Amino acid sequence: MRVERRNVIDADRDAVWKIVSDPDSYPSFMTRLERWESADDRPLGVGARYFVHWKVGSVPVGGLMEVVEFDDRRDLAWVGITGVTLRGRIRLRDAGDGQTKVTFRLSYQAPGGIWGYIADRVAVGQVGRIAADTLKRLKRLAELGG
Amino acid sequence: MSTLGDLKDWMREQVASRVPKADLDQRDPDYIRDQLPGTWLLASLYFRADVQHLDRIPAEGPVLLVGNHSGGNVPPDTFVFTLAFCSYFGVERPFYQLAHNLVVSAPPLGWLRKFGTVAANPDNARLALESGAALLVYPGGDYEVFRPSWERHKVDFDGRMGYVKLAREAGVPIVPVASVGGQESALFLNRGQWLAKLLMADKLLRLKSIPISIALPWGLNISDLAGHIPLPTKIAIEVQHPIDVDGDDQAVHDKVMASLQAGVDRLAARRRFPVIG
Repeated sequence: MRVERRNVIDADRDAVWKIVSDPDSYPSFMTRLERWESADDRPLGVGARYFVHWKVGSVPVGGLMEVVEFDDRRDLAWVGITGVTLRGRIRLRDAGDGQTKVTFRLSYQAPGGIWGYIADRVAVGQVGRIAADTLKRLKRLAELGG
Repeated sequence: MSTLGDLKDWMREQVASRVPKADLDQRDPDYIRDQLPGTWLLASLYFRADVQHLDRIPAEGPVLLVGNHSGGNVPPDTFVFTLAFCSYFGVERPFYQLAHNLVVSAPPLGWLRKFGTVAANPDNARLALESGAALLVYPGGDYEVFRPSWERHKVDFDGRMGYVKLAREAGVPIVPVASVGGQESALFLNRGQWLAKLLMADKLLRLKSIPISIALPWGLNISDLAGHIPLPTKIAIEVQHPIDVDGDDQAVHDKVMASLQAGVDRLAARRRFPVIG
């Protein structure tokens, strides 16, 4: 399943990138985050690993993530190494007038054949709300500083 | 009289010979991973489960997880917690659960061994902890799991505290795991210890209870050996702070019981209705 949400933030790309490239800021804008901790104490960049879990349904879902793309002021992407198959991306683009268009994508696939497919379908609404709410909080953080 | 004695010996041998030897290699992480979506659906939609504070479990190394047990022979809290643990720490982290001999030796339940379920005895428990795994135990066992539903929020190990000695010898912390909701999956009426004694099941099968309950789809359900369909009761689980084993057994046991009972009371206070939660 692939979930994508977008919004426009009334702040320039440098300001938004400053937030999304700071590992310490994730708990303040990522919704339903149950676990966020560095797995290797490397600075955020390609190869850095984090334990990330979101509360989806009854339990925290996620696992060990590795950053696979860290393109300054443009893209930050990661893949799941353990847990459900997962890819995520935060994409920043200029929207004119000092604004930034932010796209948040999550692609995921649970194991287990038909049950995995059903679980993916059941979870998609909640994952969509997590993505939308995360962008709202990021907007608030970038525009108002909290 | 000797015929009766022979029969008892024969039955004991039959059960004992069917209890699989502890083989930690039977746990299969890929199998567990494939089952997680199905259990997630059941836990999220049917039991509306809520598991809190998994971060209190040490991130690595052996640990003894001690829970209060509910739900008869179909305990929803066990599978919800197993799902939560495997989801949070990954199926790669070794995790075993102790279960009654009859559970691990029942042929239709052979798949439980792939989840890491092993027969409840001190040797298996030691083996699991020495291998560096997390181990989930329910010291209250069949005594606690069949308590009447009106005692659903009472933690009762029947005085058993062998788990403290186990943790001390293995040098691992104890993490209490409190849960509520499981004892509302059926209407449990009586532990039936008198019935177990009458039928000598306590001596032959290590069964101290032959519980009496009202459960789906049987109506009046005696023994629960064939299981039952649990009501869609809301399951709430709270993992508590680790307790170091640094006093005598009774003192540590008292700490664990106090922590568990406080957790159950907290979870129960948030519950407005039975079953619905």
